[in-house]
Amino acid sequence: MRDRHLNRILYVEDDADIRKIVCISLEMIGDYTVAACGSCAEALQVVDDFGPDLLLLDVMMPDVDGPLTLRKLRRRDTAADAPAVFITAKVQAGDMEHYRELGVVDVIVKPFDPMTLSERIEHIWQRYGGDGHVDAG
Amino acid sequence: MIGNERHNLAHAVAGLLILAFFVWTFNLLFSIQSNWAESNEVIAMDKDVHALFDPWRNLNRPGNDVLENYEVDAQVTMLGRYLQEYRQARGRLDMHSHSQVDLGTFYAGMDAAALEMEALARRVLELAAQREALRLAGADPTLISAAETEAATTMARMDQAFQSGLEIIASIDRLLDQRLLNLDAARRGGVGSLYLIVIVALVSSALSLALLRRTAVQGEALRESSERLNAIVNNVVDGIVTVDEQGIIESLNRTAEKMFGRTSDSVAGHNFRSLLHSDSRALYDPADFDSGPQPAENKSRFTGIRRDGSEFSMELEGTRIHVHDRWIIVHIVRDVTERKRAEKRLQLAATVFENTSEGIMITDSAGRLQSTNPAFTAITGFAADEVIGQNPRILQSGLQSPDFYIKMWETIAETGRWQGEIINRRKNGEAYTQWLNINAVKDGSGKVTHYVGVTFDISELKASERMKDEFIATVSHELRTPLTSIHGSLSLLDSGAAAVSPEDSAELVRIAKGNSQRLVRLIDDILSIAKVESEKMKFHLRQVNLAELVVNAAESNDDYAKQFGVRIDVEPGTEDARVLGDKDRLMQVLTNLLSNAVKHSPENGVVNVATARKNGYWRVTVTDNGPGIPESFHGEVFQKFAQADATDRRKRGGTGLGLSISKAIIDRLGGHIGFDSDPGVRTSFYFELPMMQPHWDMEVGGERIVASTGLQVPAE
Repeated sequence: MRDRHLNRILYVEDDADIRKIVCISLEMIGDYTVAACGSCAEALQVVDDFGPDLLLLDVMMPDVDGPLTLRKLRRRDTAADAPAVFITAKVQAGDMEHYRELGVVDVIVKPFDPMTLSERIEHIWQRYGGDGHVDAG
Repeated sequence: MIGNERHNLAHAVAGLLILAFFVWTFNLLFSIQSNWAESNEVIAMDKDVHALFDPWRNLNRPGNDVLENYEVDAQVTMLGRYLQEYRQARGRLDMHSHSQVDLGTFYAGMDAAALEMEALARRVLELAAQREALRLAGADPTLISAAETEAATTMARMDQAFQSGLEIIASIDRLLDQRLLNLDAARRGGVGSLYLIVIVALVSSALSLALLRRTAVQGEALRESSERLNAIVNNVVDGIVTVDEQGIIESLNRTAEKMFGRTSDSVAGHNFRSLLHSDSRALYDPADFDSGPQPAENKSRFTGIRRDGSEFSMELEGTRIHVHDRWIIVHIVRDVTERKRAEKRLQLAATVFENTSEGIMITDSAGRLQSTNPAFTAITGFAADEVIGQNPRILQSGLQSPDFYIKMWETIAETGRWQGEIINRRKNGEAYTQWLNINAVKDGSGKVTHYVGVTFDISELKASERMKDEFIATVSHELRTPLTSIHGSLSLLDSGAAAVSPEDSAELVRIAKGNSQRLVRLIDDILSIAKVESEKMKFHLRQVNLAELVVNAAESNDDYAKQFGVRIDVEPGTEDARVLGDKDRLMQVLTNLLSNAVKHSPENGVVNVATARKNGYWRVTVTDNGPGIPESFHGEVFQKFAQADATDRRKRGGTGLGLSISKAIIDRLGGHIGFDSDPGVRTSFYFELPMMQPHWDMEVGGERIVASTGLQVPAE
């Protein structure tokens, strides 16, 4: 059911250490192209040029948190239909349900295994990536 | 009364006759005394005649009362007997006198007059009784007036008969004058006067009969009502005690006897005070009952005492009434022990209702509010008179689904109660969470009469629960974050992935190490804050010289400052800034303030530390020239995990707990902590502690008491 391959991932994360680990994991192991941003503002700057296939967002971020970042990105044509995934350490009871209501297709819980992160992302892409996603060229 | 004029006339006539009778009796009887003595029957008759007039005299006595009228009634009966005896006596008289004087012509007229008068008198009595019965039955007034008219007519006929009788008497006189001259004077006088006496007695009797019987009818009615009254008096639930004007007991009804455990006879003659407990005896004064009803508080100030010595709360009322020419006081006595107990219970319930912190609302079975308490008003903002009569749904917030209410009422219908959390809305529009407990109140037959809702505002509790949940969520997040870095970097290194460059490997090692340290600091800080907030943190209170401590802290943080290219300057000055504190905890506070200042200082910046007096406190101020604290963040500075610029907190290695911990420590030591910020110029954080006072060294029972903080100082 997948016509397109997952390639470009827009990743927003305020913790530099985690950002580094995720980048290594996705770029080196998954061979994806990752635009890693430290904040919502940064993401909004790069999103149009980058043209993401998938959005990977931290939830707990100062100033603008993950859900709000997602809403802001959705207003951009370039990110309007890209499947979104949260990657978060905030996983209390009720949080997961709330996240799904916000329009993400899946949630990756921290700490995660960097060796299987790409597999996990690919799997998500297989399930949700094609739906309503027009060929972006 | 019937035919009052006739009545008076009858009285007048009877009076005249009686006067005549006395004149005759005394004159004639005196003259014939010796001759007449042999006739015992006549003497007996004479006594009877006298007896006949006693009741009449009584009748005319002012203030005659019921009981004496009974005696009258009894003598009226005697009159009947007398008349019978009279006839027998007359028969015997006839035998004596027949041969000497022919009185036969008078007999018929005399008898007829006497009989007619008697018959008429009886008729008058019947009419009187009839009229009274009609009146009591509330009959048609025309019937009553008919009886009155007939009674008047009858009285007139009685007068006629009486006149006839008088004429006969006059004839006898004449006859005696003319025809009995030759008779033995004494005998003549005796027989004549006896006859006259008898006739006068007969006529008078007939007249008196009318009067007496009429009174007797009243007497009978009165006796009946008196008996009824007695029965009532003895069976009423209230005790009735009659006393005279001096308070001397005359009688107790049965209830009062039971109440006091004493018989009426045993206390009659004693003062009413003897029935009172010694505490309230002096309060009793029969004169208090002279005028009208007593004020309520006066009624209930007496305590009764029973024969067995037990006490009871008494309610005492009294009415002064005029009886038998004198005044008596009728006391109504009630044993109100039970009522008072019930009142107390009610009062307690009312006090609870008024003062409890739980809001209480009571509705009728239709759900209309009937009563609410002050706590209800405090919680909802609605005063009682704003909601009485309304349905409690005015409190609904609209935040509960209709299903919620349907289920609630289903539960109440099924089990008679419901409890749970419910979001309502205050009068000011604010939604709040309350705990609500609804109970159906049922009557004896199981029918719901009221619903009682007891509620308390748990919005604060909910808020603090939410804060706790948030804290836990934040702690979890804060712990998972460095763990993610540690786990992630180690996993990548461990996999030996060829793709990881040597530079990346070095970076990953640095990340793992740095985050491990951060994790340790976090755990320490979280434990610290938990301890200090739960007041489990131990303080070893000693006299501490802040000036010395500041120098020590500056020295021990010097290396850290150097990493940031920052210098710590201790301002010289006070050397003897003594406070009472825990050296280690104060060092923790100072280190936190210094490291914050260092972290936020620009490179080559200077952190200044000063110690100075301030209104009885020693104040330590740590100043840096960093970017400062944005105004919007001022309210959150001392909150847990609050950092104005979280983006770089990892770089600076803070946990977001340092200032919360510092504030908790200084608060516990009875000091203050605060800051002044001039963004871009300088930021000063300070804490101050009360200056050491000499008397704080005093030992009390092996422990030093620190007045300023309330903390107890363990003995050295």
